[in-house]
Amino acid sequence: MKQSTFDPRSKLIFAIVATVLLMTFSHWIALALSLGILIIIVLFLHLVRPWLKFLENLGFACLTFFIIAWLAFDLITGIVSGLRLLTIGTAFFLFFQTTPPNRLSNGLLKMGLPYPFAFVLSASMQFVPVLIRRARNIRDAQRARGIPIEGALGTLLHLPALAGPLLIQAFKFADELAEAMEARGFGISGRSFRYELRFRWIDWVAVAISFTALTIVLSIQFF
Amino acid sequence: MILRFEGVSYSYPGVDTPALDGLDLTVHPGESALVAGSSGSGKSTFCRACIGLVPHFHHGKFAGRVLVDGRDTRRHPVCELFRHAGLVFQNPDAQLFNQTVEAELTYGLESLGMAPSEIEKRLAWAGNLTELDSLMERPPHTLSGGEKQRVALGAILTLRPRLLLLDEPFTHLDPEGTEALRRILRTLKSEGITLIIVEHKLHSIIDDVDRLIVFHQGKIVAEGSPRQVLAGEISAYGLNLPPLSQLFRAFGLNRTVFNVDEAIEELKTQDLLRSFSTRLSDQMTKPSNRFTAVPHPIVEAEDLSFNYEGHSVLRGVRLKLHKGECVALLGRNGAGKTTLIKHLNGLLKPHRGFMRILGRDTRKTPVSELSRHVGFVWQNPNDQLFRPTVREEVLTGAKIFHPYDPVWCDELFNRFGLLPLLDRSPFSLSEGQKKRVSFAAALAAKPDLIVLDEPTAGQDELFRSELTGFLARLRQEARTIALVTHDLEFAAEHANRWLVLSEGQMIADGPPDEVMADSTVMAKAGLRPTQRFQLTQAIKHLGEEN
Repeated sequence: MKQSTFDPRSKLIFAIVATVLLMTFSHWIALALSLGILIIIVLFLHLVRPWLKFLENLGFACLTFFIIAWLAFDLITGIVSGLRLLTIGTAFFLFFQTTPPNRLSNGLLKMGLPYPFAFVLSASMQFVPVLIRRARNIRDAQRARGIPIEGALGTLLHLPALAGPLLIQAFKFADELAEAMEARGFGISGRSFRYELRFRWIDWVAVAISFTALTIVLSIQFF
Repeated sequence: MILRFEGVSYSYPGVDTPALDGLDLTVHPGESALVAGSSGSGKSTFCRACIGLVPHFHHGKFAGRVLVDGRDTRRHPVCELFRHAGLVFQNPDAQLFNQTVEAELTYGLESLGMAPSEIEKRLAWAGNLTELDSLMERPPHTLSGGEKQRVALGAILTLRPRLLLLDEPFTHLDPEGTEALRRILRTLKSEGITLIIVEHKLHSIIDDVDRLIVFHQGKIVAEGSPRQVLAGEISAYGLNLPPLSQLFRAFGLNRTVFNVDEAIEELKTQDLLRSFSTRLSDQMTKPSNRFTAVPHPIVEAEDLSFNYEGHSVLRGVRLKLHKGECVALLGRNGAGKTTLIKHLNGLLKPHRGFMRILGRDTRKTPVSELSRHVGFVWQNPNDQLFRPTVREEVLTGAKIFHPYDPVWCDELFNRFGLLPLLDRSPFSLSEGQKKRVSFAAALAAKPDLIVLDEPTAGQDELFRSELTGFLARLRQEARTIALVTHDLEFAAEHANRWLVLSEGQMIADGPPDEVMADSTVMAKAGLRPTQRFQLTQAIKHLGEEN
């Protein structure tokens, strides 16, 4: 994972401001320019390959947005809708690619979020691959005894064979996890951090630029 | 003393039978104890009581007193006790919840509010001890089973608890992983840390501990030095005795021996070397260990290769399985064993080469068709349970393949002792009972080949004995059996042929004794010959010398 020099808090503010700005842009040229800037950042950070992989999933949603808006309104609205989703998605892709979950949760803690919430936010990402692996094992076990969980229709028709064991294992897993966390001092007061986050001048500059841009754009749009 | 149980009884909420029943025990600083007993005897509950999870986390009915490092666990919450007593749980996946190995190791120290300089010091110590230095930046979910186990241990060790408990730490480890963990535990013992290890496979660690404690139905029924306990009458407690002790008992010798040197010494003393050797050879050639291959194999693979995410997992594998034989597939974790068995019913298709099951090319035959001929019993039976009753669970696969044979299914219910359980929910069964359900489910469609994935992992001796009976019946019925296992003692006892995989290549294929005699192959695959084989070889060498 690329780790940027910015504090996760300043990056989070930057990403939220970027989202608000991209939501207010109603012209396709402004969105295309924004996308261009974001792609330059992607190139600069050598994140082209993961970004293309990310697009495999987001691309379908963008295309759907584009087609629905085109059919419901007109071509330009379709392009604006598709581009908006793509730019917002890319902004958050950059945020998550450059912010390890533990630093994000540390940042959220510093912003006043209670520890259990901040922890759940970072830990939930950690368990996605574990649960995917379990789901694969269950699918293989069921297919091995002749249940045809193959393709979207097969999965839908035999959903209980997949979802039943997965849910039960997930509950058991959650119980075991809670025990293990309790046994490592989860949630006790007076927690320290190996890497203390520091909000430096560069973070203040990022926040200042974010809010200045937001003020200018909102002023132009609404006044 | 570091740990004291005084008349401790405990029942889980909603359960009448006590999990712990009047336990009295004292453990002194620096001692190492092995806790053994059949499944459900209260071992894991005992571990939880040692760190206060029982009763604080699980609630239920608790009586008596547990003192950990002088602290009464009823009065001190888990978050105060965890710096004194640490527990490495059974399932490594469910105790690793941080983004990197390094974050995992420092989590407990951050919980304690420790200064960064002290965190660095302890991280370096625990990382070095558990041999994790090169893995610090890796996400835990990308590691192998053995590496995860070491991370879980490291995460507790950084807290430097005076008492360290490990709940079945060897279950998922290959022979090399087992040896690495034993090495770490020896170092910890030398540093004065009190160790309590819960384990079914006694021979994995019994040589290194001071004391053996046997649990049965929530009570301590035997304790003392391992030799003293094993010399007593313990057959009712479902212990998986060390192989040489079993062998000596089978030959009517009373002395408890743990390793080959001790066994040789004892045989020399009693002047039994020659007669023991003859009986061993007779046993090796008993009819169940012999197999004569019929000309046409039921499974045939040539030049089979498979890649996963750019890595070559199987390379040019050649394989033949014949009707009625029992074959063991061996190798270290990550050698490609699971990938290979998933080719046996088309769950995975070869990227190069082919595999044929009863003449059907797996690349062109759907899994649903192949699974009629190949039954799987997976390591975790919970991966397949989803029906409301045991009866429906067993019949699910069979009913897909019309027509299914009700007489055969009734025979399976009987064979696996499921008749009293047929209308119960499979989720309410013990792990051993679930395993029997999955066995019956795999056989319900009368497969020609049955694949057993780590059948003995985490199982007590009672299940192992049952398994021996099940395998014997399958061989009588001339079904082909493929075992994937790290349990070489079990593999040597049941398989007529060993297939050894290393880095995706089949490096040996032959009778167990021939494979074990090839030290190059064994070293390359990270395997160690069984104790019985080592003893036979040692006796042979002595005979040659004389």
